[in-house]
Amino acid sequence: MVTKHILGTFDEALASLRNNVLMMAGLTERSLDRAMKGLFQRDDDLCANAIADDEEIDQLEIQIDKDGVDVLMRFQPLASDLRRVVSAMKLSSNLERMADQATNIARRARKLNRHPALPELELIAPMHAHAMSMFKDSIDAYVREDVQLGRAVVPRDEKLDELNRVASRRLIQRMAEDPDQLRGYLNLMFIARHLERVGDHATNIAEDAVYAAAAEDIRHQQFVASS
Amino acid sequence: MESAAIIDPPMITPVSLPQQQVASGSEPADVAPERPPAFAVERLSIFYGEKKAIEDVTLTIPSKMITAIIGPSGCGKSTLLRSLNRMHELAPNTRIEGKVLFAGDDIYAPEVDPVVIRRRIGMVFQKSNPFPTMSIAENVLVGLKLNGVRDRAFLRERLEQSLRMAALWDEVKNDLHKPGISLSGGQQQRLCIARAIAVEPEVLLMDEPASALDPIATAKIEELIHELSANYTVVIVTHNMQQAGRCSDYTAFLYLGRLIEFASTTKIFTNPSERQTEDYITGRFG
Repeated sequence: MVTKHILGTFDEALASLRNNVLMMAGLTERSLDRAMKGLFQRDDDLCANAIADDEEIDQLEIQIDKDGVDVLMRFQPLASDLRRVVSAMKLSSNLERMADQATNIARRARKLNRHPALPELELIAPMHAHAMSMFKDSIDAYVREDVQLGRAVVPRDEKLDELNRVASRRLIQRMAEDPDQLRGYLNLMFIARHLERVGDHATNIAEDAVYAAAAEDIRHQQFVASS
Repeated sequence: MESAAIIDPPMITPVSLPQQQVASGSEPADVAPERPPAFAVERLSIFYGEKKAIEDVTLTIPSKMITAIIGPSGCGKSTLLRSLNRMHELAPNTRIEGKVLFAGDDIYAPEVDPVVIRRRIGMVFQKSNPFPTMSIAENVLVGLKLNGVRDRAFLRERLEQSLRMAALWDEVKNDLHKPGISLSGGQQQRLCIARAIAVEPEVLLMDEPASALDPIATAKIEELIHELSANYTVVIVTHNMQQAGRCSDYTAFLYLGRLIEFASTTKIFTNPSERQTEDYITGRFG
């Protein structure tokens, strides 16, 4: 789709930046998957793997920032090239934070695994499915430069927020009814909150995907519309 | 001012360009603002003999703003720029079709004297070209003297004013009698800008004014262009995309003599509408 650049080294630098973003997205997805399986399957090894993944993701974030600055310095890209570099750097920042959420979830899961399973775990499952679906679609929108898909991800965050509110209400209620399990319910509340943050980052990625593909800033539309 | 009658053009209705300013930090609109433009180029074609250098270009150049013209070598940038003060006519066998309206008047109308046009629309060239036998002061004042201005106090005042506007005064104020060509390349170019603005033109046309200068001298010229745009309409031809991005409010992209796209510089360099523009500015051309 993109015509070859006169400078082969520039195309290589852009491709390398993109490949590192995609690798980071793949590792972040795997880390979230491991953390959630560690929770649902009560598997501490998976939790440990999720936590260990974070270091590699952090290194990739540093590498992408360094490469992005290097491309800006050496080639001074413009138009769609400039948007690609800027969005790659923004994506890496969001992916790194998502991976931090995976680490947080894994740590909470290990604490939960020390005690009998709580039936309220069922509140987390739909949040997990929804957050991961948003994440995958946001990355697909970025990879395929699919503006429509990117736009469609953003409003889906509202449902995740609502699921989080429902889960929080229910867990607070259970804390009052069953104070012996207070720590467990609190850990589940935090996990719900971490998944809600995953949705926020997926939204950011979808917005950046739309910017990269169409030079359109769709962030904070509700404020723009009301101002 | 005593020289007003001498400097004012005798054949064209004096212009009253609006004193509008774009608020600091605000983005120019994607299309030229709705106010009297400096130039309205209408279906302009320019021929050198049989060769068509510019083909059917229609373009509105906003007043008191900086418009950059970009495009590959041979696309007609310099020809279009020079057509704005009829400088291209100095080449043999030139012919134009269409119109160039300056402040609403056709500069190619039969009764118009190109010398008067060039006094109102000054030009700075790629290579600095101070008169080699003249001092710094004589270079700046040559246009006024040719127009018969003799008032020494006025000339002295205009000399300092022009050199100050060209950001050169502090560097040469003690050497005004020295030859213009004794200055460095960057200083010579600023001297040429001082010479161009000494006759108080309304427009400055600049044909790659910094392409032969080092980055520091280039930065000084660019800063100067920015400051001049408060009082002058500036049209600049440049091969340097980053320079166009840094300096200009609007950018026109020309290819093979045709205007491919004209929009705010931000729009051109972040999200151009035309594929050819995108390919050119991102280095994917041809």
